[in-house]
Amino acid sequence: MKTLSISGLSKTFVDRQGRTVEALAGFDLDVAAGEFITIVGPSGCGKTTMLRIVQGLEERTAGSVKIDGREITGPGPERGFVFQQYGLLPWLTAARNIAFALDARRVPKAEQKERIRTALETVGLAAFADHYPRQMSGGMQQRIGIARALAVDPAILLLDEPFGALDALTREILQNEMLALSERMAKTIMFVTHSIDEAIMLADRVVVMSARPGRIATIIDIDIPRPRAGRGEEIRESPAFAHHRRQLWEHLMAREVAA
Amino acid sequence: MSTQPTTSQPTLPARPRRGLGRDSMVRIATAVIIIGLWEFFGRQANPLLVAVPTDVLVATWDLAKTGELFAATGQSMLAFGVGFAVAAAIGMLIGVLMGVNRTVEVALDPYINALYSMPLIALVPILMLWVGIGFTAKVIIIALFAVFPVIINTLAGVRNVEKNYLDIGKAFGAGAWMSFCRIVLPSATPYIASGMRLAVSRGIIAMIVAEFLTSIAGLGGLIINYTNQFETAKAFVPVFVLAIIGNVLTAIVRVVEDRLGAWR
Ligand SMILES: Nc1ncnc2c1ncn2[C@@H]1O[C@H](COP(=O)(O)OP(=O)(O)O)[C@@H](O)[C@H]1O
Ligand SMILES: [Mg+2]
Repeated sequence: MKTLSISGLSKTFVDRQGRTVEALAGFDLDVAAGEFITIVGPSGCGKTTMLRIVQGLEERTAGSVKIDGREITGPGPERGFVFQQYGLLPWLTAARNIAFALDARRVPKAEQKERIRTALETVGLAAFADHYPRQMSGGMQQRIGIARALAVDPAILLLDEPFGALDALTREILQNEMLALSERMAKTIMFVTHSIDEAIMLADRVVVMSARPGRIATIIDIDIPRPRAGRGEEIRESPAFAHHRRQLWEHLMAREVAA
Repeated sequence: MSTQPTTSQPTLPARPRRGLGRDSMVRIATAVIIIGLWEFFGRQANPLLVAVPTDVLVATWDLAKTGELFAATGQSMLAFGVGFAVAAAIGMLIGVLMGVNRTVEVALDPYINALYSMPLIALVPILMLWVGIGFTAKVIIIALFAVFPVIINTLAGVRNVEKNYLDIGKAFGAGAWMSFCRIVLPSATPYIASGMRLAVSRGIIAMIVAEFLTSIAGLGGLIINYTNQFETAKAFVPVFVLAIIGNVLTAIVRVVEDRLGAWR
């Protein structure tokens, strides 16, 4: 298990014409080992940018990102990423998309087959191993992206609105799968979502971000006991859930009105 | 993929299968009419200048019987094959180098574009001075004509790789070589294939030009020789063979292209 420590993280994009966009301004967060963090905030507030910097996909303008106390310098094998969109290589089948990541991680071929099968089963797409991305719906492609991140088995999992393109039912099934997984495997997880219910259901803590430039507006501790997997209905109807929902709404609405 | 190669003409969309029977009947009818008119009017003209289809058929048989046609075709195709292979290999290499290294691109770009746009045939006499008129000369001329579309399309393909795809490689820790082989190249394949198709047609033109201007050999040689002897019917035979070869080669590239692009 790994801890993640983000402090003073800032990012200013400069485009070709020299115009600047301040996407992040001083994002601070300490994530405990095995903790499940969800992140919500208005669109364009820098959630993707923050996650990409933590993954090592984007340079930061200022600040630090440490894993177990060590500053990151780029992508690393202890982190896995699920992209918001366009996360698969279209010329590779589902199984080969996963194998690509395993190859990059130097997982021996002999071990890959089993890992790919397990990962595809976890997201319920074992039958689609040989399908190309264009032969699958957006939601199915998204699940392959999740399966790939699971197959490489990182200690830290970064997910950028992974269920955004899914229908309600699939979404609930995968939320439950995500809970089971995190409760079984004790991964450190940062999960961006635009669904308040999803944020509460999954998280130990929900981070609410302010509009651009993104920084943390509030952090809400979720007071719902674990294990939660398999108890979705019960949790959704609990007073604690209703309370957190109200809490989050108030924070997000306050931002909207102020903005 | 959202981006399609724009550096060459797009392939025509496939027609619906529904009218296939009727379409082929129209095509056969058109062919019959054209050949018929040619036969009819050809017979009224000076036989030294115009050969009619039946004459061409007989000439084909004559040239085939002596083996002359096959020898010439073999000669032409050997030169074409070597020249095309050289153009494909060098073209992809230069295109890739230009695509991954900005200095190489800045250095070569003006010359590549200038040479691609100019009528290269103007260079052929000078080339002959340097490399003579043998097989090597033919290969060089073919490669020279065919190489530029390969370079330009490979460059475009390497250039236009979606950043999203490169990010996938980066996110999972793929090195530069792995990203190149398994992301950049597959994503550039449709562009490279378009370049190859252009290279085939330019290469065939180059082959004929070379055979006309250098060692009067191969199919081009047959055309020149029989035209000079006023054996017009025999001169027509290699013309038809060339038309068939051009179409077959383009079709082969297209089949390879479809195989490689089955994921789209
Ligand atoms: N590569 C980029 N170049 C310029 N601006 C960018 C780039 N990526 C993101 N941005 C800008 O940064 C801001 C935050 O974007 P993003 O992190 O994608 O927000 P979110 O994921 O919260 O919707 C947006 O205003 C976006 O337009
Ligand atoms: Mg985003």
